[in-house]
Amino acid sequence: MKRATCFVPSVFLIGFLLAGQAVGFDFSELENSVKEHTLQNGMKFIVLERHEAPVVSFVIQANVGSVDDPKEYTGLAHMFEHMAFKGTTSIGSRDVNKELRLMAVEDSILMELRSEKRKGRLADSARIAALTEAFEAAREAAYELVEPNAYQEIVRREGAVGINAGTGPDATTYFYSLPSNKLELWMALDSDRFLDPVLREMYKERDVVAEERRMRVENSPSGKVYEELIALAFKAHPYGIRGIGHMSDIQNLTREAALAFFEKHYGPSNLVAAVVGDVKAEEVFRLADQYWNRIPYRPSPERITTVEPPQSGERRMILEDKAQPMYSAAWHIPELTHPDRPALEALVDLLGRGRTSLLYKSLVKEKKIASSVSVFSGAVGEKYPTLLMVTALPTPGHTNLECETEIFAQIEKLKAEPVSQSDLDKIKARARAGFVEGLEGNAGLARQLVTYNNLWGHWREMFRELARINAVTAEDVQRVASTYLTRQNRTVVMMETQGS
Amino acid sequence: MKSLIMILIIVAALCCSVAASPTVDVTKLQYPRLNDIEIPKITRHTLGNGLRLYLVEDHELPLFRMSVRINCGGFMEPADKIGLVAILGQTLRTGGTTTRTGDALDELLESIGGSVETFGGITTCGASVSVLSEHTDLGLEVLSDILQNPVFDPDKIELAKVAHRSGISRRNDQPQQIVSREFAKLIYGAESPYARHTEYATIEAISRDDLVAFHRAWFHPENVQMAIWGDFDPKKLVKQVEKLFGKWPRGSSPVPPLPKVTYKYKQQVYLVDKADLNQAQVIIGHIGGLLTDRDYADRIVMNTIMGVGFGSRMVDAVRSREGLAYSTSSAFGANVDRPGVFTSYAATKSGSTAKAIREMIKVVRSMQTDPPTVDELKTGKDSYLNSFVFQFDTRAEVVNRIMDYDFYGLPNDFLQQVKARVESVTADDIIDAAKRNLKPDSLIIMVVGNPNDFDEPLDSLGLGPVERIDIAIRQAEAHGGSR
Repeated sequence: MKRATCFVPSVFLIGFLLAGQAVGFDFSELENSVKEHTLQNGMKFIVLERHEAPVVSFVIQANVGSVDDPKEYTGLAHMFEHMAFKGTTSIGSRDVNKELRLMAVEDSILMELRSEKRKGRLADSARIAALTEAFEAAREAAYELVEPNAYQEIVRREGAVGINAGTGPDATTYFYSLPSNKLELWMALDSDRFLDPVLREMYKERDVVAEERRMRVENSPSGKVYEELIALAFKAHPYGIRGIGHMSDIQNLTREAALAFFEKHYGPSNLVAAVVGDVKAEEVFRLADQYWNRIPYRPSPERITTVEPPQSGERRMILEDKAQPMYSAAWHIPELTHPDRPALEALVDLLGRGRTSLLYKSLVKEKKIASSVSVFSGAVGEKYPTLLMVTALPTPGHTNLECETEIFAQIEKLKAEPVSQSDLDKIKARARAGFVEGLEGNAGLARQLVTYNNLWGHWREMFRELARINAVTAEDVQRVASTYLTRQNRTVVMMETQGS
Repeated sequence: MKSLIMILIIVAALCCSVAASPTVDVTKLQYPRLNDIEIPKITRHTLGNGLRLYLVEDHELPLFRMSVRINCGGFMEPADKIGLVAILGQTLRTGGTTTRTGDALDELLESIGGSVETFGGITTCGASVSVLSEHTDLGLEVLSDILQNPVFDPDKIELAKVAHRSGISRRNDQPQQIVSREFAKLIYGAESPYARHTEYATIEAISRDDLVAFHRAWFHPENVQMAIWGDFDPKKLVKQVEKLFGKWPRGSSPVPPLPKVTYKYKQQVYLVDKADLNQAQVIIGHIGGLLTDRDYADRIVMNTIMGVGFGSRMVDAVRSREGLAYSTSSAFGANVDRPGVFTSYAATKSGSTAKAIREMIKVVRSMQTDPPTVDELKTGKDSYLNSFVFQFDTRAEVVNRIMDYDFYGLPNDFLQQVKARVESVTADDIIDAAKRNLKPDSLIIMVVGNPNDFDEPLDSLGLGPVERIDIAIRQAEAHGGSR
């Protein structure tokens, strides 16, 4: 329902297929009407005025994602995202002073309980039982004072739509839209929640997140395949762990860790906001100075340094399940800003986009061995070296291996001969149409602006995509196919039906 | 041990000091008046042959879009050929026309970054066009060709059948899919067009002749409405539509009415035994209502209070207070032409299945016994009223809605009438609507999960015996493989 959690691989694809130059339409005018302003505390605001309807969309992106989760605390970035909806000292409680004291009690019992449990087989089971009972009592006592979902109730009442947030490997994004006369409400409420968050209901929300993991991963065949695939492809880099975290880690997350995470990663210089809609840029900047600048400057943490070592041989796994067969393969490719990426995007387009793509044509249309086939770049994240991923669903009577043989054969074709000019033209035409379509909604546009800003260091790069795609040559495509789509660089996970 | 804990609690409570709140009191904020909602002007045209057009200009971006509504659907297909209209919907486009193969259409449209797509649904068929406005003529021309001159290439029929067989073979892999499919059958009846679904045998039975005959009988201009929005010159466009669709002959018989729904309230627990799941899917509900019911607006507010989003009773109880589910909500479905379905849903770990069911029923029951608080009523009404502007923020939703209203004979300002009613809804109205529309003692309760791990056996809920639903897939003589 609420809050997309782990990264949806296709999100960044949209970004890539952007381009400019539709006949009779001047994109530089649009680019020039985007205004930006950086507050004294380092937070950046990007505004695009659009006066078609009296509505406005807000997006906040924190430059922190699940790759920044500390060891033993996988899932923490995502958990904090849930906690960011729990209110402040003035929203969400009937008696905040008393509540904070009770939360401290809850925490201290939990810490005792955790250390006892960590003794494993040597733990004192009677003590665990007593502490568990005390913990549950403390949790309920603290909850007594909570006004649940008070923050959401305020924004909903004022007419917000699309209230949500998502935690990806690279970034955490919070967003909703309001009637445009409520600009100040967003300014006040959302600056408060990053100035003065109260992480109430932490140990109830942990259970909610555990259910989210069961739903998205443990009871979903494609969720299981994806989790195994990234784990097998990355042995060093945290891109190998799903953002939702391991179940045992989720059940061990603490408020202390979440608060430390917040202090470290949610400083204003690590936040970017985009506001798109029926507002005046100067008014947005004035209110931003008034409300958001209350958050004191904190230095932004640095990028993680772990580098995935080159893969020296194919990795392969068969996942046994009750579900029907499912095929997935992935190759390591560089991060978004690497000069090879435009050619890789063209390659993804040729292989897997639309009914004329190589894989659709051969596996689905002609051989009819797969009912669907998809290709993604940036299949994990985009800030660090990532994966190009191919998935296929074999049709009844056909196998994963048949699909694999055909997928590899089509890839070899791309290595053997340069693509035709008409295919390259097709990619560029689609990029142009995709760019225009991407400008349609306020909310989507606001998300693109912050995402480009996060990954490239500047939102203007959104308007440079076409130039990058247009520069791609047939030789480039052939070269990146040969460089990256190799056997040694490949990881394969196949789901096979148990007992078949 | 207990004393140690008590000391711990006291120490901790003493240690904690609280900073003064630096936050803003948002209740004191004053908002400026909202700029007027400018409802875009829609122009209507009816061609001589009955085809209806709804146009709205939007010159912000160089885009041209259409959505086409064709009044026929899967409800008209015979029971032994379920899937006929869905396959028709796919192959209209993929199967090509008398002058262009489907593959040639693929090449043509992808080379301009545009799309023309068709679908066959249960109550309507339809098509869509999306191209850069510089390709408007091409988009229109392709649409006209597909709707009037399809050839239903046998190879593309086989392609569609393979996709359906694959879908059948995978239909029990995603728990949510089992929930929606099986619950619809419990509400509308397994044979009802609103719930029945394909089997290998029904797909096998569909022939090209069936598609041709269905298309010939029902794809006629008097059954077609087109909503068009984007960057175009209306005069030129209407002329172009006249030229391309004006000679399309009318059909000879009227489309039959949708089948009636008969529903008898009853209380019954159903189980789909799926041993590989560690999370149970719980759905409870019964028949819903019509969009034109007198208390439609009251129900919107009622359902918002019951189970829409954070702050609703369902989410507060099942998710926030008990931590039983990530995903939980309620919906009181309403259509114009047939009753919708009332459902409440949650996905919870196997070990809290019975607990979740109890909580959910309690919430439904509370709607009849506990009048909405001042806060609940305010959230229920204001969230609708204050977000009303979002019903008009794109040309697409406005023109598509007017096309639908026109089809059903609803007034243009139907939505404004609903809004006016929402403004005046009282707590008593909510209780009345709950008493009229919710039957907490006659709920259908369905669980998909592993009963060995449930916290309690489902027959101990006190809701009667449990009926098991068999979801095994009926194998056909010959399926699989392309022949």
